Amino acid sequence: MNRLSPGRLLAGLLAGLFVMVSLGLAPAQAVTTDEIISRGKVIIAIDTTTAPYGMVDTSMEPSGFDIDVAKLVGEALGVPVEFVTVTSPGRIPSLLTNRVDMVISIFSITPERALQVAFSIPYAGQSSVVLAPKSLDIAGPEDLVGLKVGVTRGTGEDGLLTKQAEKFPGIEILRFDDYASISQAMLSGQIDAMGGGDYGDMYLQKSVDGEDFELKYILKSFFFGIGVRKDSPELLQWLNTLVYSLKNDGTLNELSIEHRGAPLPELPVF
Amino acid sequence: MDYVFHFGPILDRWPLLLWGLSRTLELSLVSMVFGLAIGILGAVAKSFGPRPVAALASAYVELIRNTPLLIQLYFIFFTLPFIGLRLSSDTAAIVALSIHLGAYATEIVRAGIESIPAGQIEAGKALGLSGRQIIRHIVIVPAIRAVYPALGGQFILQLLGSSIVSAIAAEELTAIANNLVMQTFRNFEIYIVVAVMYFVVVQAFIMLFRLGGRLLFRWKV
Repeated sequence: MNRLSPGRLLAGLLAGLFVMVSLGLAPAQAVTTDEIISRGKVIIAIDTTTAPYGMVDTSMEPSGFDIDVAKLVGEALGVPVEFVTVTSPGRIPSLLTNRVDMVISIFSITPERALQVAFSIPYAGQSSVVLAPKSLDIAGPEDLVGLKVGVTRGTGEDGLLTKQAEKFPGIEILRFDDYASISQAMLSGQIDAMGGGDYGDMYLQKSVDGEDFELKYILKSFFFGIGVRKDSPELLQWLNTLVYSLKNDGTLNELSIEHRGAPLPELPVF
Repeated sequence: MDYVFHFGPILDRWPLLLWGLSRTLELSLVSMVFGLAIGILGAVAKSFGPRPVAALASAYVELIRNTPLLIQLYFIFFTLPFIGLRLSSDTAAIVALSIHLGAYATEIVRAGIESIPAGQIEAGKALGLSGRQIIRHIVIVPAIRAVYPALGGQFILQLLGSSIVSAIAAEELTAIANNLVMQTFRNFEIYIVVAVMYFVVVQAFIMLFRLGGRLLFRWKV
């Protein structure tokens, strides 16, 4: 562990003071759709390092699934969007310090985060899954016994499948150093199944026997919501309505196919 | 630097590291035996074989010595299945390491063979030894004796080089270390411990080689 040195302590205190001052000077302020419209712009936090959800395109403009959703929010409000680029750990602070009206950046809905910010109903989701050639009959971890399953060392799939292998002895887990290697192992038939995402180029490839790959079962799902400050229930209600509408008219599904190459998963609501 | 070292999480997983070490030793020793066998055959083929056989041996040596071991591993593990030859991670690792060492051993043993003076072979003929006896007793054994230190050095390179087979999911000391790094995030401590383990094993090997050399080649030149 890092030991607290005087320099670090001072830096920590200063950072804490800075946060307190900035929060104190500008307490989390409620914002309503009317205020956004009369202001003439909506300020949305995005992350451009999370392809295919957020990235920078060839003309150096933000693009991706999340960015398109943000543009739809602007369109629906009838105002231009001002993008503020944040990193993953900067998402909650950007809301709490009033720098943005909302965060649209693969913001997984969790109860821990919901103590600090409010989430809209999910507009997108993705899963860690097990995929394998079509002919293999796999419905759950028990069917992986006796098979070779490839994972990328240290990823979420590695952790989840290692736990399942402890429960069902006989699952042989092969750990590769990168995603390119498990893909190769899968294509050459060196592994029977692999842990990966529910979208990507893998689903367009064929196995060594000319078979298509398909999703067998889901290890864990994450759903992304639009984050707003907790004291803006009116904005939150409007966003829920917008997400509901975009989901029902097929817009979100089109975006999912365009950016992820896979249809929108079934999105739960709350 | 205010980093505080914690070796506790590694000591908890000590049996895993030992298992990884035993896998490294197994991979290295098995591929050393096969590699040396390939080396002796290759050297004899290059020195005494008919021209096509010698050419084939040369082609093998050049192909292997001029390409990276990692690419050879990938080729054997990822590409051969497309022509129907599917080897498991461990088998592919042993095959690749053996073929790799074999090429270097061929050149080393060949150098030893070339150091045998022609007169020694003629002496064998004069004593009425058969061709096979000459190659075995007059050429190979003295040749290996002459290049014994070079072979030892190559074996040690092989032992250390075996750390890259984790790329094809073969489990050995470095792969185990990488797994532990991802579980505990104690990079410093784990790599230090693993480096020490490699160091100790290599030192032990060097001593064994010396001892083996004294026992195997007891006669004077």
